Amino acid sequence: MDILNFKDRLFNKGREYGFSDMELYYQSNGKFSTKIFKGEVDSYNLAIEGGVSFRGIYNGQMGYAYTEKINEEAISFLLEEAKENGKIIDSEDSEVIFAGSEHYEELTLFSEELASISADEKIALLKKVEAECFALSEKVSSVNYCLLESHDTEKMIANTKGLEKHERGNVVYTYLSVVVKDGDDIKSAGKLTLSRNFSMFDPIQLAKEVVDEALSALGASSIASKEYPIILKNTAAASLLQTFTSAFSADNVQKGKSRLAKKLDTTIANQLVTIVDDPFLTEGFMSRSFDSEGVATKRLQIVEDGVLKTYLHNLKTATKDNVESTGHGTKSSYKGTITVAPSNLYINPGQSTYEQLVENEPEALIITDLQGLHSGANPISGDFSLAANGYLVKNGQIERPVNQITIAGNFFTMLEQVESIADDLTFGLPMGGYVGSPSLKIKGLAVAGE
Amino acid sequence: MFQKSIIQDIITAALSTGGDFAEVFIEDKYNTNIALVGGKVENSISGRDYGIGIRIFQGLNSVYAYTNEHSRDKLIAVALEAAQAIKGQPINLNLSFNRQTFTNQHPIIHTPREVPKSKKVNVMREVYDIAKNYHELISQVSVAYKDEQQRVLIANSEGRFVEDERIRTRLAIQTVATRGNEMQTGSYLPGAHKGFEFLEQIDLQHYGQEAARIAVTMLNADECPSGKFPVIIDNEFGGVIFHEACGHGLEATSVAKKNSVFADRIGEQVAPSIVSYIDDGTLANEWGSANVDDEGEPTRRNVLIENGILKGYLIDKLGARRMGTDVTGSSRRESYKYAPTSRMTNTFIAPGKSTPEEIIANTEFGIYAKYMGGGSVNPATGDYNFAINEGYIVRNGKIAEPVRGATLIGNGPKTLQKVDMVGNNLAHGQGMCGSVSGSIPANVGQPMIRVSEITVGGRKGN
Repeated sequence: MDILNFKDRLFNKGREYGFSDMELYYQSNGKFSTKIFKGEVDSYNLAIEGGVSFRGIYNGQMGYAYTEKINEEAISFLLEEAKENGKIIDSEDSEVIFAGSEHYEELTLFSEELASISADEKIALLKKVEAECFALSEKVSSVNYCLLESHDTEKMIANTKGLEKHERGNVVYTYLSVVVKDGDDIKSAGKLTLSRNFSMFDPIQLAKEVVDEALSALGASSIASKEYPIILKNTAAASLLQTFTSAFSADNVQKGKSRLAKKLDTTIANQLVTIVDDPFLTEGFMSRSFDSEGVATKRLQIVEDGVLKTYLHNLKTATKDNVESTGHGTKSSYKGTITVAPSNLYINPGQSTYEQLVENEPEALIITDLQGLHSGANPISGDFSLAANGYLVKNGQIERPVNQITIAGNFFTMLEQVESIADDLTFGLPMGGYVGSPSLKIKGLAVAGE
Repeated sequence: MFQKSIIQDIITAALSTGGDFAEVFIEDKYNTNIALVGGKVENSISGRDYGIGIRIFQGLNSVYAYTNEHSRDKLIAVALEAAQAIKGQPINLNLSFNRQTFTNQHPIIHTPREVPKSKKVNVMREVYDIAKNYHELISQVSVAYKDEQQRVLIANSEGRFVEDERIRTRLAIQTVATRGNEMQTGSYLPGAHKGFEFLEQIDLQHYGQEAARIAVTMLNADECPSGKFPVIIDNEFGGVIFHEACGHGLEATSVAKKNSVFADRIGEQVAPSIVSYIDDGTLANEWGSANVDDEGEPTRRNVLIENGILKGYLIDKLGARRMGTDVTGSSRRESYKYAPTSRMTNTFIAPGKSTPEEIIANTEFGIYAKYMGGGSVNPATGDYNFAINEGYIVRNGKIAEPVRGATLIGNGPKTLQKVDMVGNNLAHGQGMCGSVSGSIPANVGQPMIRVSEITVGGRKGN
């Protein structure tokens, strides 16, 4: 069914139901993914998927409903469900249907060249990556994930206030994970690479990076429990920042679920720290010219030289604080309600190289990998205690790999204890925001080991 | 739900290029999510997930395609496109479906869609009040309600044709306790393979109060010391340790390709003889239960470890092909968007002989984990980590002061060997388990157990 035609009939029928303002959100994805195992195509997945989400004001309250079955009966299903959902809302903060912003940035998020890469070319890349991993070392016992996924996403938002916006984007990512074995010692390492430019995927470099990292972890052991100066490698720093970005959400601030409440225009981090949210980033997984409420997005300095300048807002939280929406009204998909989430959020890179951070340390711990972020870190209190891997540094040199330790601290305290920032910005797994960080030198964190 | 002849045509199209097995999974699911924050219903969304997954095997190669399209022509086109990934000659297929029927092991009293949303909200308000009024330090309470009614039809080229309905209801109570600049949280998330009757049957007082009590207790707790200690883990959600530490390593997902530390070890002593570990998808109306798995195979009770000896794995169809064994009724997926694979259902340590009182009394110094948080494991190495949500120091055989911020880390197979006491109070907790086939409801369970030594990471130092 043609989606614009569906929209018109839905809105007409919606008026009969008694809805005042209404909105239709549509998303469709074409997906391809494949995985190689021992030179063979181990899995090959195709998808054409999509769905619509309806929301509308009924008796002053916003009701939501969605469906993945877009047919005739979907119209009355959506209206009936949204009406029933609207009826039980008793929150005083009313949501609105948005008429549109004055100006929207023009973004190129779709690459024709990327779309033209065939499945065979993608498979050939993965086969090369896998073969290269085994060729690099006899200790590589298994390449447990050698996969590629490509997405082509189209979204539309249209409402009865005259707004109609479309956006299309595509992206490819690979995930490589290898297992190395030396006697009884087993270690693994993995890496996600994401781009809109297929030539960015260099099989030899990718294999080398991951295999080297896994090999360098062989022989790891724990270390004595005490406080160590910490060099948080960019990947680990990005995953930690990701866990705590919810503290910047005005929604959490207003609900008493953020430690950053009442901290606007105060110093919350070392003055070296600047945190940016950039929805226009060329290689950003979450780049967008409008948010899920139709509000134009913009580049934002959340923390500037250590000072908290703004929270992230959607229309509802902005009204409550008497400010303008920052364009962070976000739906995880058509199945979600409007929340607040970052687009591409990162700590600004500094001047030093990662090597410089290391070479100045008489004794320090490099943390390359953190586990259990969904359970061992509390986004509200900021406290974390996480399993970690890394290397022990003595006299500016890596002495040996370290595992079976935890590092513990408080994220908000840690921001104040950033002592230097490297120039190696990298991004983590996109989960409710695409979050990045350079490597960070932290004054000290409690380490539990032996 | 769907005409047999259309399914037959899809399977025939899927096998047109030499595949030796094809399967169709049709899902039609209604969901409701209601969120109550600070005493007000803030949002409510309901909707319908609908889609079809088509899977083709050729030997150990597998192809999976899914779509929300529902017309015969579009579905055949998707099947043909998927089949292009397979290269060979079509095998002669004499397809006739044999409809499998079974007695529903998980009867439902009140189908969620037939219960007015206002009744659901009333329960949410009731538990909100219980938690909010528990203590003056409770500054925020959020209650989330979720129900789902999932109908599935699974048919394959071996003639299987089976339909099942899974209805699940869950309540998530989350609290924040605040004093000055300090905040601590508590939560309880009970759920079951039941309809609205679940909320009528459970003790709301218990769940609401516990969620609040955890936050207040942790606000008054000192930082946990770090080091290696005996750790006592209580029953119910405490079972998450073995879910992570060995459950994932027993799934064909990692065993079949020998990416698990438990691969090729059937018959070996992998745990002390007091430990038996079971996965049982048949438990009536439990959170991780279903009549059939997502390949249409009846669920069953799988003994994984019996008196310390490794007895079996959890095996899906593709894993079975790779391993040359039979399936175990353990193939699961979040939705039609995922090819199914071997997963846990309701997994638990069987009850032992010690009473919880004996276990505590026998511990001179250690950590008692009353409630566990989540965790994760690297199946290749067996290294796991997870968080303690409510912990205490045990001193001279008595539970002493509360401690917070503790994380347990270790190696699954090694921790398993160090279980030295198993209690008699088996109970289950509910969780969402994430892996390659998505996020699925799974029970974890155990009686109280003691591990002689685990590395505890806290902020206090040692």
